[in-house]
This record gives sequence, structure tokens and C-alpha cells, in this order.
Amino acid sequence: MSDSLNTLRVEWLKLKYYRTFWILLIVIAVCIPAFNYVIYDVTDNSFPKMNGQNILGNPFSFPNVWITVPYNAGILIFIPAILIITLFTNEYSYRTHRQNVIDGWSRWRFIRIKIIEVFLLNLFVTGIVILTCLFFGFITRTAVQPKPGWIQYRFILFFFVEMLDYSLIAVLIAMLIKRAGLAMGIFFLYMIVEQFVVSLGRNKYKQGWVDYLPEEVSDRLIPQPFARRILAPGNTAIWEKHIPLYLSIALLYIILYILIISWRFRKSDL
Amino acid sequence: MQDVSFDVPEGAVFGILGPNGSGKTTLLGIVMDVLIANSGAYAWFGNPPSENQRRKIGTLLETPNFYHYLSAQHNLEIAALIKHKPPDDIERVLKLVRLYERRDSKFQTYSLGMKQRLAIAACLLGNPSVLVFDEPTNGLDPSGIAEIRQLIIDLAAAGKTIILASHLLAEVEKVCTHVAILQQGVLIKSGDVLSALSQEVWLELGSADMAGLKEILERLPGIKKIVRQGNHFQIYFIDTMPDAEWINRYCFENNVVLNFLQVMKKSLESAFIELTHNMSN
Repeated sequence: MSDSLNTLRVEWLKLKYYRTFWILLIVIAVCIPAFNYVIYDVTDNSFPKMNGQNILGNPFSFPNVWITVPYNAGILIFIPAILIITLFTNEYSYRTHRQNVIDGWSRWRFIRIKIIEVFLLNLFVTGIVILTCLFFGFITRTAVQPKPGWIQYRFILFFFVEMLDYSLIAVLIAMLIKRAGLAMGIFFLYMIVEQFVVSLGRNKYKQGWVDYLPEEVSDRLIPQPFARRILAPGNTAIWEKHIPLYLSIALLYIILYILIISWRFRKSDL
Repeated sequence: MQDVSFDVPEGAVFGILGPNGSGKTTLLGIVMDVLIANSGAYAWFGNPPSENQRRKIGTLLETPNFYHYLSAQHNLEIAALIKHKPPDDIERVLKLVRLYERRDSKFQTYSLGMKQRLAIAACLLGNPSVLVFDEPTNGLDPSGIAEIRQLIIDLAAAGKTIILASHLLAEVEKVCTHVAILQQGVLIKSGDVLSALSQEVWLELGSADMAGLKEILERLPGIKKIVRQGNHFQIYFIDTMPDAEWINRYCFENNVVLNFLQVMKKSLESAFIELTHNMSN
């Protein structure tokens, strides 16, 4: 058995019999479509129709569904973050991070497989988002369907980047705090404080730099999809122009987090 | 820690001794790569440390560290995979520590002693040639302590090199061939047990004729001092102590019949306390 496969098998054994892991995976798999269904129901039935069309447009039809579902799923990103924090802090509370190294893993191998695990969890959640997009796209499809292209599908990639950004913040906090409850509290506090700083900085003090804060910059990759023509006319072009910058900064944050996480684990006492 | 340097001979049972907080676990943590030292170097099997080297060592450091929600069997499967040892050895090591019947119970349901025994089972996976035990009898009842002591003796007899950190000197005295003594992070002595800890020996003798006994004992060459303790004399020698048989014959030939004769040896504990006390002063 190759070394990498062996390492993956160890991580799989840790997860396979861990009930909380499966429960949270099911919660993720159920909540993303269910939450989207609630929004779909509200947008479909609670808004007035003009000329037979919903005032918000058709956010759950192709191609809009490719932005609507990732946007809504972004609100639920805290659920996989809870799972990530739990899996990480478990190693600290059981002191198995130490034991894995004592038994023969290098520190790098330990942290590398954890980051891969986060990537795989992100892929799973992104898969759920894709399936949810397809589901809503098909139930709302009309006779004339616009041809989908990269412009629509890119939101799936942006969702993956957004979630990776949040997930790695969760890893970093879990690693520094080491206790599950406290780490979750600090993660939520960080999410709220950053949003507060962004609101205050953007609206009151007219500070542009707040758009590039770690969570905000990845949030900006998926703008709110409802009634964009009415609520934010002209913003689409500005947003479109900024995508490469938002994406680059979000990716830079991801690289930075990975570097800090691996440096910290390799250089500190376990 | 500072100026800690020693070699562990192959096949030795090497005790790392020291009071609580002397740095025993820190030292083992450094050589197992869970603690980072500011400076210094160490080698395993004569080679620079690596994950491959650690896989050849069975280590119990401080507390048994396992996934609480997994059974003993699954925890050992993880350990075996990390150590690159065959999983079919799990049955043997579980039987050795008497946990085979409870192999499917979750770790969190185990008593402290069972957890400690599982940690020892994990160390024994794949029959490693080097074992590192940090306070291996922690949490065990008297029969558990005796079992682990016997296990260590058996492992040593099988040629394993064992590094054993403990503050329970009576435990170490029974099994160790070599020791390193730490105090406040400093190595104060290391080597084989006899040379590292001068465990003074003396004779205790008794006779119905105590006056006659004293008289002939005073004529013995190499006597350091004679101390009366109730109905016995304790006699200490400057260098080598004659053996008990020779002393018995000497007394008899000088018309003194002994009714008590015993070779006494200072316990490792008193020797250790004396040594660490001298170093403190």
C-alpha cells in the first residue's frame, strides 16, 4: 500500500465510526436543498407578479439557479465549519495529534492529510450544491432554455473558493484554540465582527479596503442574486470587473492560511 | 533542559529517573518529536530522527491517547496502519494485556487501568526492538503493576531495549540495568545502575556473645565503622566487603557463633534521595 493511500486509510478509519461526522454530513446534505426550497417557496409565493412574471425574476431557473443556490448555500457555510472544528479539536482533546506523530507520522504528514480532508469535505458540499442547482433548475425549467456556459458554472467554483476560505479560517481557529466549544464561539464571533466592520467601514466611513477582508472578499464572489436589476442596477458591470481581483485575493488568503496552519503545526509543541 | 547527553546501550533497560517536574517527559517528548528543543540533537538506531525511525519504536508517553469513540480494535488498527505493522498482530497484543475480550468496547468505556494496558498493547504492535514507557504503571492496581513489571522483565529478557521513565524508584530498581538521573532539567548522573547510584552495602551480624563479636570484628582489616543496632552490629567496609560465608567462618574460627547474618543494601530510593539532595545542596 502506498504511503498516501495508507494515510488516507487512517483518516477514513477515524471518520468511518464517528457518528457526529455522519450526522453533520446528513445535516449538510439535507439543509442545503431544504433551505433553498424555503427561499424558493418564499420568492415564488410571497412577491407580486408583474406581467405574469415574479418581480424577483426567476432566480431558481436555469441559468440563474447557478448563482442563487451557491449564494443561499453560502449562508449555511457555518455547518461544515462546525464539522471541521469538531474533527480538528477532537485530535487535540484526545491528544491523538501527538500520538499519531509518536507512532510514526511526520508533523507535515498529519497536517497535510487534515488539509486534504478539508478539501474533500468542500468537494462534497460543492457536490450537494451542484445537485441542488440541477434539482431546482429542472423543476422550474421552461420550454425555452438559455444555453448554459462558463458564465453560469463559474459560481460553483466561486462557492468552492468561498467555502475553502471559511473552512481554513475554521481550521486555524480550531488549531489555535484547541477546544471545540470555544473555537466555535470564536469562529461565529469572527464572522459577525467582520460583517460589522464591513458594514461600518463601507457605509459609514466609506472605506474601500473592508471589501478585501478575508470573509468579505470571498462573499463578494457570489453577489446576492435576487432582483439584481431592481435593487442594484449598474452594479453587475462593476462586480464583473472586480471578479479577478476578488478571486486572486481570496486565493491568496487560502494559500496564506495553509502556510500558517502548516508552519504552526510543524514548529510548535504538540 | 540543559546538558542532557547520554547513550542507551542496545538491550538495556534504561531508567530515566527524577522527581516530578524534573524533565523526564519533556526529554522523551523531544526525542519523540512532539516537543521542540531550542538546540541539541539526538539519534535513533544511530541515525537522524525520522518518521521511519519512530515507527520502529513502541512508545507510551504520559497518558494513553486514543479516539474515545472507537473500540480498542479500531484504535489499534489506526496505530498499526501508522506504524506500518500488520493488523493481524492486534489479536496477540490484546491478549497479552488481557483486553481481547473487551476489544469491541469503546475506549471511553474503559477504566484507567484498561486504558493504560491498551496503550501498552499499542506499543507492542509489530514487536518493536525498542520500547519507550513513560510511567507505564500509572493508574494500574497492584496486580496490574506486577504484571507490567513482569512484562518489562520478559521484554528485556527477549533482548528489547527499554527506556523507562518513572518516579517510582522501587519499580525501576526491580527492572533497570542503566539509569539517567534528572533534576530540574539537568542530567546529574547516568550509566549502569551500580556505578550511577552507589548503593552502599553492609553486613548485619548478631551473636549471644556481643562483646566477643565486637572484639573480633574490630580486628578485621578494611573496617570503616561498626554501629550497634539493638542486638545486631552493622559493619561497613572501606572498599570491598568480604562475602558472608567468609565472615561466618572467621567468627566461628574465633569462637564466636553467629545467630544472625545478613547482607544489607541501600535501596535505590535512599541512594537517589541522597544523590539528589547532595546535588541540591
